[in-house]
Amino acid sequence: MAVVDLNEITVAQPLAAERRGVSITRRIWRAAFASYEFRIGLAIFVILVAAALFYPWLSGIDPTKLNVSAKLNAPWFIGDKWMWSAPLGTDQLGRDMLVRSLVGLRYSLLIGFSTVALMLVVGCTIGMLSGYYGGKVDLILMRLTDAQLSIPMIILAITVLGVSRPTIPAIILVLGLSSWPVYARVTRSVVMTERKQEYVRAAQVSGASNLRIMLFLLAPLIMPPVIFISVLDVARMMIFESILGFIGLGVQPPTPTFGNIIADGRKYLLNAWWIATMPGVFLCFTLTSVNLMGATLERARNRIYGGAL
Amino acid sequence: MALLSFLARRISQGVVIIFLVTLLIFTLLRVVPGDPVRLMAGGMAPEALIEEIAKEMGLRDPILVQFGRYMTGVVQGDFGQSFTRPASGASTGGTGFGDSSRGDRADVLTLIGDTLPMTLQLAALAVVFALIITFLIGTPAGLAPNRWPDRLAFYVSSIFVSLPNFWLGIVLALLFSVKLGWLPAIGYKGFAYTILPAIVLAIELSPVLIRNLSGSLSAVMQSPFISFGRVRGLGRRRIVYGHALRNASVPLLNLLGIQISGLLGGVLVVEFIFDYPGLGLLTINAVLQRDFPLIQGIAIITSAIFVLINIVVDLIASTIDPRLEY
Repeated sequence: MAVVDLNEITVAQPLAAERRGVSITRRIWRAAFASYEFRIGLAIFVILVAAALFYPWLSGIDPTKLNVSAKLNAPWFIGDKWMWSAPLGTDQLGRDMLVRSLVGLRYSLLIGFSTVALMLVVGCTIGMLSGYYGGKVDLILMRLTDAQLSIPMIILAITVLGVSRPTIPAIILVLGLSSWPVYARVTRSVVMTERKQEYVRAAQVSGASNLRIMLFLLAPLIMPPVIFISVLDVARMMIFESILGFIGLGVQPPTPTFGNIIADGRKYLLNAWWIATMPGVFLCFTLTSVNLMGATLERARNRIYGGAL
Repeated sequence: MALLSFLARRISQGVVIIFLVTLLIFTLLRVVPGDPVRLMAGGMAPEALIEEIAKEMGLRDPILVQFGRYMTGVVQGDFGQSFTRPASGASTGGTGFGDSSRGDRADVLTLIGDTLPMTLQLAALAVVFALIITFLIGTPAGLAPNRWPDRLAFYVSSIFVSLPNFWLGIVLALLFSVKLGWLPAIGYKGFAYTILPAIVLAIELSPVLIRNLSGSLSAVMQSPFISFGRVRGLGRRRIVYGHALRNASVPLLNLLGIQISGLLGGVLVVEFIFDYPGLGLLTINAVLQRDFPLIQGIAIITSAIFVLINIVVDLIASTIDPRLEY
């Protein structure tokens, strides 16, 4: 008996150790990273982010500086009248389109990521409280969530931003506070099943406070899968930011953002089509890369969780 | 009988939802800073005049009192009159508020009634286009999971999600309208003006649908009744189109019901770009001009449409799949 046991242990040990050592989060990362789509998305994303961070600084071109003598220059692939300093052409006031698009990308990324962070914090907190305490707390918070879901987000956003001055924090706040309900629902459903588990009961019996259980036991377990879904929302929020900018309710000019460059460029569509279309190409590439990463992460997550959650 | 009780239950739930949405929008409009009277009377109007007008219009009463007054009207079919639009023609903005009689202001119901059919036409065409795209791309993907049709669907839906609707609208207008001259784009002078906006909306709508259809179709293809169909000697065509797609389209239909509320945001932007005279353009202008009665009216009508669509979706779903209970 003992010999058999020993054998089994020696065989089982490394396997078990490997299983335990590799957390679910890491397995999802690994599965996602194995696919070409994720790598392509990541590569495009890294290049674009690096360009947005360094090019405006390295080239030293001011995105808001007017240069009337060099206005409406065509990009390199159609005109013969272009300069190295402005490979994608210039707009109606002679501002370089490449630098303007990249600075726009900075704001877009900043707003996209902070909005999703805010959404996650608000949504998961509400979902956590609702699922953990249940009863009346749950009832009130979930009715709140339903009500929030039934208001068309875009009407809410333009109502609020139409009257208050649209600054970056205001935009983040409005976008973030108008789309958390999905996260609240997901978190609540997981917490409701988890809080009945033995390890939570054990912690309660041994005197851990509710806050401690929620923050140190439940949150680390619940957050990773939710974060994987939220990558797709970064792209959604970047689109929303640019829509707001397009209607004139985003970050205000002269700061270039995708929305306001495209809205401006629309007036020159017939004689200088690149002003309205170039920033969109950048936005589109960024969004495709984020969506590729998000979708592969989501697929990997679904495969590893077996569709649970 | 079961159908009647189903309808009664769903409609009463719907009325509650519409009531809550109205209350929320109503309160929100009055809590958020920004005075509609200021916009109506113009920036130069003295403070006293503004207060006087606001009092006269009942805008300084407690919110619940205002809400009660408004709902009494709504129940009797009176949605009030627009703050800023005259009965004939364009918005007045700051001018022409001198007259105390507001008889020449447009009825909210008339404004909505004029624009709603346009938007419904646009939305219907968009849904048709979206379904065509979805079935063309999603069906092969669902039949061949993890092979190239599936990959193609994955790439196409990833790219479609990444196209910002307003930019796509501009690019398509530039391409098909300006360069090629195939389709008209700006304004509305006939059915052809609906096509480009509808394509933009369809592209926005289809990625979720493609993903859903290919997912549920590949799940259905695994189920026992499909293999049994093969044993019964049915052709592949019959199995796929007669059985698998029929089962896979039920979740698609439910999703479509949910997505239609999301379509509203797209409609707003697309109508704004193409200057399409529908409900979306009306909404943007109403919000920018703080036209309270008009915004409230639009909120009530759209949430009512939303409720109705979801009831209809459930009815159609139970027709396609009789196992589903109402």
